[in-house]
Amino acid sequence: MEELDDLKQIWKSHEQGYEPKKESEIALMLQGRSNSIIGKIKRNVWFELIFTIACSIALLVYAFTLEPGAMMWTIISLLILFAAYLFYYVKKLILLGSFDPSDGNIKTSLEHLYRKLTIYINFYRKSYAVLYPVYFFLGIFFGALETGIDGFLDKMREPKTVVLLVAFAGAFFVFTFVITNLYLRKLYGNHLMKLKELLNELKG
Amino acid sequence: MAKINQVVIIFSYFRLIKSTAALTQDQEKSFVKLVNENQGLIHKVCILYETDKEARNDLFQEIVLQLWKSFPTFRGEAKITTWMYRIALNTAISGLRKLGRKIKTEELEEFHFNISDNTEDNFEENFQKLQWAIRQLSEIERAMIMMALDEVPYDEIAENIGITQNNVRVRMNRIREKIRTLIR
Repeated sequence: MEELDDLKQIWKSHEQGYEPKKESEIALMLQGRSNSIIGKIKRNVWFELIFTIACSIALLVYAFTLEPGAMMWTIISLLILFAAYLFYYVKKLILLGSFDPSDGNIKTSLEHLYRKLTIYINFYRKSYAVLYPVYFFLGIFFGALETGIDGFLDKMREPKTVVLLVAFAGAFFVFTFVITNLYLRKLYGNHLMKLKELLNELKG
Repeated sequence: MAKINQVVIIFSYFRLIKSTAALTQDQEKSFVKLVNENQGLIHKVCILYETDKEARNDLFQEIVLQLWKSFPTFRGEAKITTWMYRIALNTAISGLRKLGRKIKTEELEEFHFNISDNTEDNFEENFQKLQWAIRQLSEIERAMIMMALDEVPYDEIAENIGITQNNVRVRMNRIREKIRTLIR
């Protein structure tokens, strides 16, 4: 009874058992947006990119109203950082744009998606590993500008300040590293795990 | 003379843009027609990979979008159904949709009895049982049995999944055994 031919017969009995979509409904679907993981990440990156550009323009306009000083240099540094961010977002979009689910069979597609997501996550992690120390040293540098370079250098000669600074730097790096990893695992961990399981099943 | 040339070039560009737009419209029409004629295949994938109606509609739309995205690269070398299977199953399997929609375990108790005879009255009930049994399989196995039930030859199944024909045979035997146990 449950042999393949019987199952085929049952399967075919339901050929028209679904609610057919009209051509107009299908045409309308083409205007919709993708709910795929790649589509969602792309939308997030576009949002971040537009937000960064908007903030950069606002900061640039504000910088023109300032007198030369610590504040102006802080804003200029932020603008330089934002410019670096633009390359970062474009690189992310290029990475995401190279995924096409039609370019191979299921196994190839899964391998491709797994590879792309892993590269994307590693790029994300590495870029933050570089950016957080930049933020940290910029913070110290502007602190020095605010308090006066001579006073700052005097402070830095005190062992207590050095120990405190090293401890704070350690805590800052560990905290940001842990947060970034947690965030990435929450966002993409399940997807990667599922892709890995599927690939193992295909190889097994 | 140079100005006339410029006008001619602009006019040619305009015609090119117009013809490209017309081509896109034609492409869209033929794509919609194609999906409409083969929508049964997409519905079946949605039925096997999603349980509730809303999720099925979402997956249907996602598959249509992915098909549309790769439509320009479809050169007609492969059969249209092979191309559609590949993209529909890739979309359903590779997690390109929301994760976390799991089959509710309370559903499992419902069909723990034999598939009835194939009298016309029982076809719907039998289909529901078969559908339930297939949903208990892994996502890869679901893809394979679906293609087998749709009379896709083993070499095409192998090609679509990315494994050897021998592997397809071995896996199909295992799948049949699993279904037999599930609907016993």
